[in-house]
Parts: sequence; structure tokens; C-alpha cells
Amino acid sequence: MRLKLAVIVALAFAVAGCGSKGEQTNTNVPTGTLTIGASLSSTGSLAREGILTKEGYDVCVNVVNGKGGVQVGNQKMKLEIKYQDDTSKSDLAGQLMDQFNDQGLKLILGPYGSGATAAAAASVERNGQVMVDSSGADDAIFTKGYKRTFAVLSPATLYATSMVEAINELVTPKPTTIAFISADDGFSKTATAAAVTRAQALGFTVIPPEFVPNGTTDVSSALTKIKPTNPDVIIGSAHLAEGVAIVKQSTELGVKPKGFAETVAPPTPDFVQALSKSAEGVLGSTQWTIKTKGTDKWFGSASDYAKTFAGQFNGREVEYHGAEATAACLALVLAVEKAGSTDPTKVRDTLAGLNEQSFFGPIKFNDKGQNLTKTMGVIQIQNGKPVSVWPKEAAEAPLKWPGNA
Amino acid sequence: MARQRVTGSQVAQVTIYGLLQGGLLALVAVGFSLVWGVMNVVNLAHGAFVITGAYIAWEINRAVGLDPFLAMVPTAIVLFVLGYVIQRGLVNLVVNAPIFITLLLTFGLNLLLVNGMILRYKANYQSIPTSYAARSLVLPGDVHVPYGRLIAAVIAIGLTLALAFAVRRTRLGLSILATGMDRGAARLMGIRAAHVYAVTFGLAAAMAGMAGAAVGTVSTFSPADAGRLTLFSFVAAVLGGLGNMYGALYGGLLLGLVEAWGGQLLDTTLVNVVAFTVVVVVLVVRPQGLAGRPFYASRVEV
Repeated sequence: MRLKLAVIVALAFAVAGCGSKGEQTNTNVPTGTLTIGASLSSTGSLAREGILTKEGYDVCVNVVNGKGGVQVGNQKMKLEIKYQDDTSKSDLAGQLMDQFNDQGLKLILGPYGSGATAAAAASVERNGQVMVDSSGADDAIFTKGYKRTFAVLSPATLYATSMVEAINELVTPKPTTIAFISADDGFSKTATAAAVTRAQALGFTVIPPEFVPNGTTDVSSALTKIKPTNPDVIIGSAHLAEGVAIVKQSTELGVKPKGFAETVAPPTPDFVQALSKSAEGVLGSTQWTIKTKGTDKWFGSASDYAKTFAGQFNGREVEYHGAEATAACLALVLAVEKAGSTDPTKVRDTLAGLNEQSFFGPIKFNDKGQNLTKTMGVIQIQNGKPVSVWPKEAAEAPLKWPGNA
Repeated sequence: MARQRVTGSQVAQVTIYGLLQGGLLALVAVGFSLVWGVMNVVNLAHGAFVITGAYIAWEINRAVGLDPFLAMVPTAIVLFVLGYVIQRGLVNLVVNAPIFITLLLTFGLNLLLVNGMILRYKANYQSIPTSYAARSLVLPGDVHVPYGRLIAAVIAIGLTLALAFAVRRTRLGLSILATGMDRGAARLMGIRAAHVYAVTFGLAAAMAGMAGAAVGTVSTFSPADAGRLTLFSFVAAVLGGLGNMYGALYGGLLLGLVEAWGGQLLDTTLVNVVAFTVVVVVLVVRPQGLAGRPFYASRVEV
């Protein structure tokens, strides 16, 4: 009886994180085709973000091939990405790197999320592959001495910090108390810790952060604990599910800060869809907006890129997950062209010395593989759309405060 | 900064919110518990039925603007038909087989439904908008009772009472009960077991669909949530016990309370640890669950 129950429990847990394993592929790289491996979350809890990332990679393939392909030495090569589903499981993302390696795929584009990227980076290093990371922002990935992982995006430490800076600079009268609700994954915790330090340095009173399980749709306990402190601002370092829950359950429980700010949720279209009017005024941090400065030969400026994306996806507006994915692909393409080779070590060395402007802003890596040359932006949901409000020079509209009006 | 002390109004708020959250969990779990109790089938696709219901209510709301709680009725009808057909045409084929086979079958069914929804809806997070669900009745002490969750909890209690009444007082209900107790004897009495099973599965799917409409209104949903909902249903069913129509309700309410208070008194990230510790303790002290009957628990056969 106990064994039977144990088996049922095990299967129930398996269902809780289930997804397909993805199909096996065994093709070798054909002559004239530059094949890149990418493990993405097509199923499981991060499927939404995984699909947004895939769209960015697909735009890159489309544009590069539309302009004749990648120039590698004397040869033009068609760009192709081989996708595998990591079912939103980090360890599987790591295993898929080995599978790609067995297939001879040495050039890799990153999976979605810091957990999967950290697992993939370890395999990539061991296998002598090279990976450009599009969404793994946790600084912890870059403290392990890896030499073969490069992130085009700004690190986790800047996500919530950028919103603290924006509030400090743009909101008058200056709010006094900030409460933090953070998911308990590495990325969110890193973002929270950095923002708490910055907020304290700027003179804000910071309520001790409340941590909630990553991916939860119930943050009521954290809100009930925060409510008596009556904070001016609640900053959520959270993904979509938790981000939506923070705003929704605050209304339910009568928690009324003057404004909400959340890291990755607000710029995604689902945030406004799920919250409709309650999303109005929420601040969010973004890796990219259509006001981002810089151009490149493949995608032009940020607004050119937005048009290209809309053209490929039935007029849909791009948000930063797509842009950072395309930028990662762009960095790899630029490195292959500059190296004049698909040899992973040569591509790695070229990536390490890359210093290019792009629609995504500057792409230049430090010795840890992080791109610290670009800044994060802050958006605010205004009239149902994310609008760039900070930094001032890239703002589309002034920040409205109180944000929950 | 030191942790603040829990005030009187916080005690009331946490308890009320926990009970409401528990009511929602009970609504999700009641169908799961029914199928397990009557048919000895642990339906691992139950969470996928809940999400299917959420999408149907969402589609109806988008198309004709019908309130999601009213949209529960057409959603329940669609899910009843779906459940009946799946049981009659699929699960009935293996209902006599060892429990592992039904587990595998429903596991596969879950994969099909979840991935089908990801294909159709691109894994988007959705929520069914209403003007009132997030608003609250404010009690003295600034204790908030959100309308959406209150309605969901009232429906959960109403459905459980209706189910308990139907099972004891109607001919169909008695056949469901009889088939659950002894299929062979029920057949000898002229009960068409295949039909009764299909009706039971259909009823469970219909209730899952109604739960989906409620979940979609008070919270967000995406296909990826199916597994989590199945797990909640499983825990609520085990806590409450099988063979008693009130089992899922008790289990859900206890789970809601434990999560709310666990999150309040300890670190919020520990809510699942606290919830599963309570499950283990209940199983050790009372293996048949809070309201279950030992006969049904011991019937899990391999």
C-alpha cells in the first residue's frame, strides 16, 4: 500500500512538471549551412517566455538569410537554428548541450532563464562549445570563471535597481518607504539584493524583502505581512505569474501603495492582458525599448527592428524578450563573420573582443562574459501599453505618479 | 528590522483568506476525489480539464461578454460531454487493468491536452476580467473579503452539498455509490457500470471546468498550471479522504488554511513544505484522510 501510494505521488509530481522531451535529431551540419543549437522552454512553466525568445531567434534567422546569409571567409552560409525543448527544466537544458555536442553543434544560443542558462553554461564550458546568452541575467552565472558564455543583456543586479533609480530621479515628492516582494529563484534574489542596497544608499526606508515561491499565483501571505507597514512603493522582483498576483491580490487585500514596480513582467503583453486596467501605471524594467540607441547592418535601428518583427508576426509589437534573443543571435553572427570561421575557439576569441553597436545598444563583453556597456530602461504601463520613461534621454513620455491612480 | 507582531486583524485576514483560497482548492479537487473514490482512477489529467474549463469560460467571455461565473454553466456542459466521451471511449478500455495503466493513460491524456493548449494559445498567461472579482467586502479591522474568491468558495460548498445530496437521494447517485462500492454486485443488480462510470467522469470533468472558470477569474492561468492543479487536487483528496463527498472540501479548506498560516508565521517560500508536512502527519495519524473511509483507501490496487 505504501509503495503504491509512493508511486502515485511520484507520478503526480511528474505531472506537476511534465512536458515533452522534444524530438531527437541526428543531422550533421551540411556544407553551406551554419547550424546553431538552442534549447528552449517550449513546454512547462516557462513556455511563454521560451516562445517569446524563440520568436527573437526566428527573426534573426529570417533577416540574416533574407540578406544572403552569413559571410564565413569566402563562403556564404545559410543560418539555421536547431531547437530542442528543455521542458522548462534546467538540468535538461544542460543535457541538451551534450546532445548538441554529440551532433557536432558547437555554436549555441542560450535557453530562457537564468537557471537553464547556468546549467547550459557548465556543459558548454566542458564540451568546448561557445554560447551567447540571451536571457540568463543572474550574475552568479558569471562568477564561475567560464570562458565560453557571453551574455548580451544587462545583468540581474540592474533590473530592480534601475526602477529604484527612476523613482528616485523622477518622482516628486520622493517616496519614503519601499517594500520588496521577490521570487526565490537566483535571478530574482540577485536583483532584489542589489536594489535593496541601492535603495538604502539613496535614503529610502526599506521593508525587509518577502520571498515567495518562484511561479506561484498566491502571494497573499507576503502582502498580509507587508500591509501594516503601508509602503509607498512595492517592488516585485518576479516573473509573470507572481507579478500579476502581486497587483491582483494587493487590490483584493486592500494593500494600496502609491505605485507598483516589477522587474520582468510588465513589458510582456500578457501582463496587460491578464490585469487589464489594474496594470495601468505599473513600472517595469526592460533590456530594450524602441528608443534604444544604436544601429547595425542587419537590423538597422531599434525602431527598424520593431518594424521587422511586426512584419514577421502579423503586426504584433515586439517586447524585450524577442529583442534580446535577436541580439544574442546577432552577436554570434557578427563573431562568426569577424572570425571568418565556425571554429568554436576562434568564435569565442572574437566574441571576447567584440565591440559593436547594434539595435540592442552596445555589445561588448567584460572578462567574465557580461555586457556592462548597455543600460537598462524603465517602462510604465500607460493607456494599456508599455511606454519608456527612464532614462530621460530615451523616454517616450513622462512618468506618471501616483502610479496606481 | 525586526519582524512585526501579528495583529488581531491580521489573524482574521489570514484565516478568512486561507479559507477562501481553500474553497477554491476544494472546487478544483472535488471532481478528482469523486473519480478516485468511485472508479479507483487517479486522473492525472484533472488539472488539464480545469485549464480547459478556464479557456472555455475565457473564450465565452471574450465572444459574448458572459460573466465567468455564469459561463460556468456552458463550460460544465462542454466538459461533461468531453469527460463522458473520454471515459466511455478511452478510460473504460483499461478500467479493469492495474492502476499503473490508468495512471499512464491519464498521464498521456494530460500531455496531449496541455501541449494541445500550448499550440492553440501559445502558453499565454490569461485572466478573465470582471469589474468585481478583485474588489472586496471590507469588514471591521480593515479585513478584506474579495468577492471573486467568496463566490468561488460558496460555489464549492454548494456543489459539494449538491453532490452529497445527489449521491444519497437520487437513483443515478445511488448507482454511482453502488458501483463504487462493488462493481460486480452493482452489475448483478442491473446497473450499467460503463454508463455510470462515464457519467461520473463527465460530472468530475464538468466540476473541473467550473473550477477552471473560477480560477481564471480570481487568478491567472496558462497550460503550464495543469500539473500544479492536479497536485493540489491530489493533496486535497488525500487530506480529505476518499469515499466521502465532503472529503475534498475538508481537504481543500485545510490546505488553504495551512498555506495561509504557514506563509504568515514562517518564510513565505516554505508554504509548500508546511502543506506537505501536514499531509504526511495526517496520513500517519489517520491514513484514510480526515473524512475518508478505510475501505476506499485500502482499495488502491496494483
